[in-house]
Amino acid sequence: MKYLVLLIGDGAEKPWTEQTEDEQGASMAKFGDFDRACTEHDGVELLAGEALSGPRDATVMRRTSGHVELTDGPYAEVIEGMGGFYLMEAPDLDVVVELLQLLPPYDIQIHPTVDVTL
Amino acid sequence: MQGLEEVVREEWGRLVALLLSQFRRLDLVEDALGDAVESASRTWPVDGAPDNPAAWLMTAARRRVLDRLRTEEVARRKLPLVRTDVVRHQEGARTMADTGSLVEDDVLRLVLMCAHPALAPESASALSLRLVLGVPTADIARLFLVPEPTMAARITRAKKRIVGAGIPFAVPDASVLPDRIDVVAQTAYLAFTAGYSPGTGPDLLRAAASGEAIRLVRVVLGLRPDEPALVALLALMLLQHSRRDAREHDGRLVLLADQDRSRWHHDEVAESTRLLAAPCLAGPITPLTASYVLQARIAAEHATAPSAADTRWDRIVGLYDLLLQVAPSPSARLARAVAVAEDRGAAAGLDALEGLEIPDSHRPAAVRAELLSRSGDVDAARAAYDQAIAACRNDVERAFLEERRAEL
Repeated sequence: MKYLVLLIGDGAEKPWTEQTEDEQGASMAKFGDFDRACTEHDGVELLAGEALSGPRDATVMRRTSGHVELTDGPYAEVIEGMGGFYLMEAPDLDVVVELLQLLPPYDIQIHPTVDVTL
Repeated sequence: MQGLEEVVREEWGRLVALLLSQFRRLDLVEDALGDAVESASRTWPVDGAPDNPAAWLMTAARRRVLDRLRTEEVARRKLPLVRTDVVRHQEGARTMADTGSLVEDDVLRLVLMCAHPALAPESASALSLRLVLGVPTADIARLFLVPEPTMAARITRAKKRIVGAGIPFAVPDASVLPDRIDVVAQTAYLAFTAGYSPGTGPDLLRAAASGEAIRLVRVVLGLRPDEPALVALLALMLLQHSRRDAREHDGRLVLLADQDRSRWHHDEVAESTRLLAAPCLAGPITPLTASYVLQARIAAEHATAPSAADTRWDRIVGLYDLLLQVAPSPSARLARAVAVAEDRGAAAGLDALEGLEIPDSHRPAAVRAELLSRSGDVDAARAAYDQAIAACRNDVERAFLEERRAEL
């Protein structure tokens, strides 16, 4: 299965900007651990993964009757704190949850994708 | 000859597990098995029951699934499969030539899939009763006090979520298995307590359905006999369940102190006592298991007291003190306050109740009213009863409270 993993909030993790340099280093190391564990795990592949810039850089685009409307900021408060994402292939939800425990304790949304044949 | 009903009752979970491990189609197995049972109910009385009834049902169900799959192939539809670790494990098992445990593993996979933490607890409970034990949807609906179509929809949604979210039909690593067994225990206990949450009329208590939750735990214990959470939970449930025949009289609840103790099931009390002495409970246990053990020991104090007056309330208070350390909850505090009142008098009980509130519950006010009435403060008792009656949403219990208030 393919999963979109959204790191939607700091959760139990101290906000990045409040972390000391050592703490930031430790957080980064966890991402490295996660990356390696995914590579080593049977049937798991990280297809994409990026950190996102701050919410003030986000733009919402809407189109009503052919007219493009752009609004500054993210679509909803719930994703205001979204810091990054992964797109990963994994055998099942249990494997995804097991691997994600290597990351800092963010709040995470795990969302399966569906195959759309064009 | 084994009756069809008995075969279905004994074999349902195993057949579901086998069909699921073979076809991975959660949307088909239950219907296919249902059709097989229906067909057996027509042919067995005429042709006689087969020598191996479970194998007969399996063959019939498998044929149904294959029929459906053939139809789909024509339609070229691509349908989602349950994720599973079966292939990986079977490859491992082949080299170890250990095929004997595979079937049992499939039942464990089924239990762990139904009681998955990513499902809502009530859905997990209902699904476990349906898929592992084959309890009819109508009975599950009655247990949880919802209309049958609501329960059917809930079960269907849960099955879709399993496939959609990728909840696997799998046994996880030993490192996370104790946590997952805890969820299985919570799932079973939720079904059990649902049967004892008072309904109305003939549904006042649904003890028979609660008994199914005990059967669920027994099934899993049959596969993993030394799981501390399940051993402790079985002890707790058996102790509570042993009082079922004495809890209800003429459609009304009978309080513990007023129950006819000769109607308790003393064989179940004895089994619980043996379970509580199990070596697996002496080792390291999870907080959940510890809370089950303590609640069971409290229930055992009641179950083994020769009469209500002979109850060792001091020991019960001590056990509640421990329980509040392991698993603090307002309802445990409330129960402790009741025990304190029995042990040291109504005034001490009222002190223990101080500041205790449970949102949407009439119970703290009801207990306060009872203790105020015992200490002779009639006005305050009446006010507390009014508060309890206003908050009570169950007809039977409200009638009981109104009666107590009138007696003041």
